[in-house]
Amino acid sequence: MTAIAAERYTGASIKRSEDPRILTGAGRYVDDIKLPGMLHAAFVRSPMAHARVLSVDASAARDLPGVVAVYTGAELEAITVPGPDALMALMGWQGPTPEFTLLATDKVRFAGDPVAVVIAESRYLAEDGCELVAVEYEDLPPVVNAAFALDPASPPVFENLGDNIARTHSRNEFGDVAATFAGADRVFDTHIDVHRHQNVPMEGRGCVASYDADSGAMTVYAATQSVHVSKIAVAMRLGMEHDKVRALAGDIGGSFGLKIGASREELAVAAASRQLGRPVKWVEDRGENLTTSGQAREESFDVRAAVSNDGDLLGLDVQMVIDTGAYPGMGAMVPDIVQAMFPGPYKMAALGFESTGAITNKACYVAYRGPWASETFVRERVIDLIAKDLGIDPLEIRLRNAAPRTDPPAVMVTGRPLVGVTTQESLQRIAQLVDFPAFRRRQTEARERGVYLGIGVATFIEAAPGPREPGGPSGPMGLENMRLRLEEDGIVVLFTGQMPHGQSHQTTLAQIAADEFGVPFEQVRVVVGDSDVVPFGLTGGSRSATMTGGVALHGARQLKAKVIDVASHLMEASAQDLEITDGQVFVRGDPASGIGVGEVARRAASGEFGADVDANLEIVAQFDGGEGGWSGGTHCAIVEVDTETGIVKVERYVVAEDCGALINPAVVEGQIRGGVAQGIGAVLLERSAYDEDGNCQSATFMDYLLPTACDVPRIEIEHLETVPLDADVNFRGVGEGGMIVAPPTIVNAIEDALSPFGVRIREQHLPPARILELIAEADPAQ
Amino acid sequence: MKLPPVDYEAPRTASEAVDLLAEHQDEASVLAGGQSLIPLLALRLAQPALLIDINGVRELSGVSVTDGWVAIGAMTREYVAEESGTIADAVPLLAAALPLIGHEAIRSRGTVGGSLAHADPAAELPAVARALDAEFVVRGPSGERVVPAAEWFEGYLTTSRQPDELLTEVRFPAAGPGTGVSFQEVARRHGDFAMVGLATSVTLSDGAISDARLAFAGVSDVPARATGAEELLAGRRPSAELFDQAARRAASDIDPPSDLHGSADYRKKVAAALVRRGLREAVDNAQERQ
Amino acid sequence: MTEVDITLTVNGATRTGSPEARKTLADFLRDDLSLTGTHLGCEHGVCGACTVIVDGRAVRSCLMLAVQAAGSEVTTIEGLGPDGEMGPLQQAMWDSHSFQCGFCTPGMVVQAAAFLSDHPDADEQQIREALSGNICRCTGYQSIIDGVLLAAERSREGSARETA
Repeated sequence: MTAIAAERYTGASIKRSEDPRILTGAGRYVDDIKLPGMLHAAFVRSPMAHARVLSVDASAARDLPGVVAVYTGAELEAITVPGPDALMALMGWQGPTPEFTLLATDKVRFAGDPVAVVIAESRYLAEDGCELVAVEYEDLPPVVNAAFALDPASPPVFENLGDNIARTHSRNEFGDVAATFAGADRVFDTHIDVHRHQNVPMEGRGCVASYDADSGAMTVYAATQSVHVSKIAVAMRLGMEHDKVRALAGDIGGSFGLKIGASREELAVAAASRQLGRPVKWVEDRGENLTTSGQAREESFDVRAAVSNDGDLLGLDVQMVIDTGAYPGMGAMVPDIVQAMFPGPYKMAALGFESTGAITNKACYVAYRGPWASETFVRERVIDLIAKDLGIDPLEIRLRNAAPRTDPPAVMVTGRPLVGVTTQESLQRIAQLVDFPAFRRRQTEARERGVYLGIGVATFIEAAPGPREPGGPSGPMGLENMRLRLEEDGIVVLFTGQMPHGQSHQTTLAQIAADEFGVPFEQVRVVVGDSDVVPFGLTGGSRSATMTGGVALHGARQLKAKVIDVASHLMEASAQDLEITDGQVFVRGDPASGIGVGEVARRAASGEFGADVDANLEIVAQFDGGEGGWSGGTHCAIVEVDTETGIVKVERYVVAEDCGALINPAVVEGQIRGGVAQGIGAVLLERSAYDEDGNCQSATFMDYLLPTACDVPRIEIEHLETVPLDADVNFRGVGEGGMIVAPPTIVNAIEDALSPFGVRIREQHLPPARILELIAEADPAQ
Repeated sequence: MKLPPVDYEAPRTASEAVDLLAEHQDEASVLAGGQSLIPLLALRLAQPALLIDINGVRELSGVSVTDGWVAIGAMTREYVAEESGTIADAVPLLAAALPLIGHEAIRSRGTVGGSLAHADPAAELPAVARALDAEFVVRGPSGERVVPAAEWFEGYLTTSRQPDELLTEVRFPAAGPGTGVSFQEVARRHGDFAMVGLATSVTLSDGAISDARLAFAGVSDVPARATGAEELLAGRRPSAELFDQAARRAASDIDPPSDLHGSADYRKKVAAALVRRGLREAVDNAQERQ
Repeated sequence: MTEVDITLTVNGATRTGSPEARKTLADFLRDDLSLTGTHLGCEHGVCGACTVIVDGRAVRSCLMLAVQAAGSEVTTIEGLGPDGEMGPLQQAMWDSHSFQCGFCTPGMVVQAAAFLSDHPDADEQQIREALSGNICRCTGYQSIIDGVLLAAERSREGSARETA
């Protein structure tokens, strides 16, 4: 492995350069932006889940002093260009394609569907105006669950589709499914549901769109995971040349997959700004965020497992139904990833997988941190259910089934090689960190007192970005670009398309580049959030550690070589005798010889070099992920369940994880803990609820409950030594793992706590009332 | 989620406030702590024409004791009541309930009178008031009247306050010797409204229960006295079997709602559990106070 | 709609305005006084992102009308440290990697500051309960708690040194 030049920042918990502004209230979020002449938007939204729109009368709203304009769905159609949903276009979706207008025109398809937008001098006045827009609806029967959606008798939510199929039923087989099941000692059959829940970043969606009528240029200040996606979406929807649109982003208050900067509302606001020639701001309030921004995870699974009497998981046959809500989002594409990941790190020989997507009158299915996470939930739940039936310890059954590390590596039956996977190591480490036998003794003693403790484990792998595919770049977004430049003041500037919203890229990328290039950490600046200036990029998919860390490393190396080359001319030394340390170029062994890299840059820019010297100290680097690699680990939770009230307390939570080489341990641990907290929230507190008429019942923070400081315990994290696969870049992603594996960890622990009652759990949401129901319904003879 | 247009008055005396109420009746809402009213306005679930802000009416704050009753001015902030030594000594059930109200920032503004006038059946103070037979002093254009707790809570978020009346004071009886209390609550998270809450006060005399008060939060559209359980407990010696009997009786006497957070059946089970826990704690405390 | 002239002290400076009666203190601080450090996370008093200090008490500024703060002393995140710089609590949180996206941060820091000034010797459980009304979606809270504990410990060491 090539030694990194200084290696004093990488691997250390360097304090974040983001924090001085964050901690003093000097962060700049979309709602903090105030532009001269700026107006405010609010949306008129449907109270009905499914209805025809008979008429929209905005006259009273338009007459309200302070209201500047009202645009109905029809009026917006006239000033915009129809087109596909931005995310689906980006991901190359090929299946059923619903036709719909930017704002609702002839019909509304979920409660909260926007019908008109009111533009006023203040948000207060815009909301006043919304109350004055009179919309006449004709009720249609709501399609509120997948079962009804898949029934041909259900009214089509999208006329052009003729049915409510978001994703045509398909079946794929990997390995010999029939033979595997025929030859199994036992076949387990179960059904598992994952409930609807959602991202809920503390800052909602929003933007300020500012159209300059004189220049014909649009500037959009966005809360987005990619300024380029925002820019392209606005340009296409408005029929503008792409170079006339600029997307800017400052600080972003979290996203977890939600903010692609191209929602229907944001595009409507951009259109309004162009129409009025004035900046228009829209920031969604919490009610909008909970009911209309999108939701996730509502999936159900019929699972058959082929098992040997000794607990070998030979194969799985899975039927998945995903409830994609009304408008298109991520939902139709999720089953493909679920299918690919279903075998996880286990040895299974066969997988049958079929899936269907259902369109319903609910908010659309959006990407939420680890959108494919249900594969881990279902697999880790099923493994525990099998273990219980066979009387095998949950750690033992996993150790038995986890693919050992071989050379060449074992290959998932769905095709990806399990190269460098440390599942066995993480399971063993958990067994060391948590004294299982002592816990079992404590559990037994507690039961005698009527106290119910439980322990659960779950293991996962995540393609962050995953191993290199043969013959091509790895990961769904194969190449990462970065522009690097040495400024004349000695600052190394990194221009990246990453759009951090809590990931601390401005710190971590600077750590890598500082080490590789040889300057102090403070001498690197990471530039994000300007589509005019940064290369294409998107923050998501747990890929930035590898892809962006890697391009920063290699880019810094390439830029350094150029700088050394120029310096060699200045210092009349051979390039291989020069090194850069602490921002100075030295002749090795002669500290007095040093000149600052800024000086080198000034001389390079001065024109003193001939055409034979490449004095342009700016490069564009690309990285394809190198050897890539898996992240993964095993989590373990100890819970106490109060069987009189159903309240669950997480007493202890332990993580043994492998996310490759750590750039900044504090950042890594923060990501893991945040993900685990969301997993605890999903199981114990969070549900996006609808009634049978399609009304959203979790529209405020009184009903959509997020975990607090009293709900999340200290999370103990052990970093496993990774298997280095690449000569230089062994950083792997960690953003999504916690949220993927925490739900099955907690559910497994709860089932263990309730095993004296014979409880078997086949769902993910376990609020107190459900716990008592499970106890009442269970059969202690099990 | 912006508040709708509304007019605003800030009277300096209770009389001025009553005059405004007499003029505007149910077109006006009284703004006390605002911790319940302002969210309703933000969600545009309430759209009064006028807000009568009584935060400047100083005469409505204060805690005093007269003839075995603790009088708490309606505008007394919850955090002030929480820190009051008088209340800790004389109304321990109130002292037990106050820290469970929301979070400290809510109690910085929220008021004892405001919570009781808002009358959310899932809130802590209505259950305490109902358990202790507190008295509500309201002032209207024609003078003052005193309303006992049993008549104060009429329905969901509805009290017997008339549109031209202002709640000025709430009075709680001082706890006597041999009285122990407990406030039990099962909430989804620390600081949340109770799914089921229970205010319990037990007085022991010669080792037997001479007086038992149990009032539930969250099981009805008003705080609900468990009178059947109370009658069952009267005169009996405390025991686990007795508590269990009382728990089953209390649970069967209620008809709780089902909502997103818990079914009716769940609330009944939890109610029973809280009766057992509440009686155990209250009796332990009573035995200490004897 | 009534507009009311108000005068109040914000971060030590006298400020005036004529907000509509319906305007919340949070919106007045952000829009009229351009103090955008205080954030709106829910506007119905649950998430705590809008927490400021009014007359010595931490309050949710989305649950106060601006007119109700007339004559009061208000401290926002911008005024917590000396001259808009980081004070010891903020420094301890920086050292502890307390935050990620930063949106909950102002309310969380203000609430923690208010709590610590009244309870300098609070233990972890007490700190967790005190901050349980401030929602963070990114961190899982541990790093925030660590920052508060570190600030409290440094403050005790500082007083110990002073009295030594």
